[in-house]
Amino acid sequence: MNSHSPDVWIVIAAYNEAPVIGDVLADVQSTGHRILVVDDGSTDATADIAANARAMVIKHIINLGQGAALQTGIDYALLYGADIIVTFDADGQHRASDIPSLIEALRQSGAQFALGSRFLGKTLNMPLSRRILLKGATWFTRLMTGLHITDSHNGLRAISRSGARALRLTQNHMAHASEILHQIARSGLKYVEIPITIEYSRYSLAKRQRLRNSIAIIVDLFARSLRQ
Amino acid sequence: MIAQLSLTVLLAIILLYAWTACARAPIIGVSFAFAASAGFYFVWVPGHATELAEFVGIGRGVDLIIYLWIVISLIMLLNLHLKLREQMELITILVRTIAIAKSTDDARRGRQPAQGPAMNSPDDC
Repeated sequence: MNSHSPDVWIVIAAYNEAPVIGDVLADVQSTGHRILVVDDGSTDATADIAANARAMVIKHIINLGQGAALQTGIDYALLYGADIIVTFDADGQHRASDIPSLIEALRQSGAQFALGSRFLGKTLNMPLSRRILLKGATWFTRLMTGLHITDSHNGLRAISRSGARALRLTQNHMAHASEILHQIARSGLKYVEIPITIEYSRYSLAKRQRLRNSIAIIVDLFARSLRQ
Repeated sequence: MIAQLSLTVLLAIILLYAWTACARAPIIGVSFAFAASAGFYFVWVPGHATELAEFVGIGRGVDLIIYLWIVISLIMLLNLHLKLREQMELITILVRTIAIAKSTDDARRGRQPAQGPAMNSPDDC
């Protein structure tokens, strides 16, 4: 990492996010960092809106899932010399104002990962069912990885170049969040958790994890463990 | 009892799999759910399995064969799932390579808008 001015890339995986991607990019552009949108085979105008907002856009020709899109974005950012990669959700749940504290935490702690935590920070309009689901997932992840994390499925995180190079996401869908934590635990890479704010909207709740998706995550992780 | 409990756990996994499959292919999900439900029933009410076997002209010894068939089917299903995952991983690598190659090409031709400071050349890395 450069000592004074790290090259920060904000990687946003987007699939059919045309209704909100313009606002999300307007918010993220306020940070002044490079923005890379990985359009994960969208059938709407997501890629065009992102390109018009002067973000870099790379496109999957078919829809693979958020985990796959993030790995593509990470590979691309590393190829072009990123020092720090910030992953940011496309559905408008995250706030760009949390990004500086994640980057600063990386620089000060020397950790490879600065993980956002809504449970250390703030949640707005979070349904009780979602809270219970996420708390359960966090408890399960703590049990499986031994990491003392407070939020296992938070998409806002900053990763140093060395951390990103050590990552290899094979879970194409939502299970990638658990996979990142498993890889951190296995490799002994250093992490810190930083309070952030997550604001749920009707749109983000409709797009996000339902109980069915949570079971799909467990099936994915189980299938993966059988092959290791 | 051990066999019944083992089969129940395996069938419960199939039922969960059926639920997740419903979103992508409803007919597959419903078929799995129906088969798993029938499995539950016959595992816990084996008398009815015997009656069914007698009804179709097969003796009681077929119970064991049915149980074995269920186990083999579950293993085949799991194997198929793992093979599909392997195929998906190959497709992912292919799609990722195409995406990065095309974008790199676009950047070299000046089609890709840069955000913030000018982009480095990949040769600098």
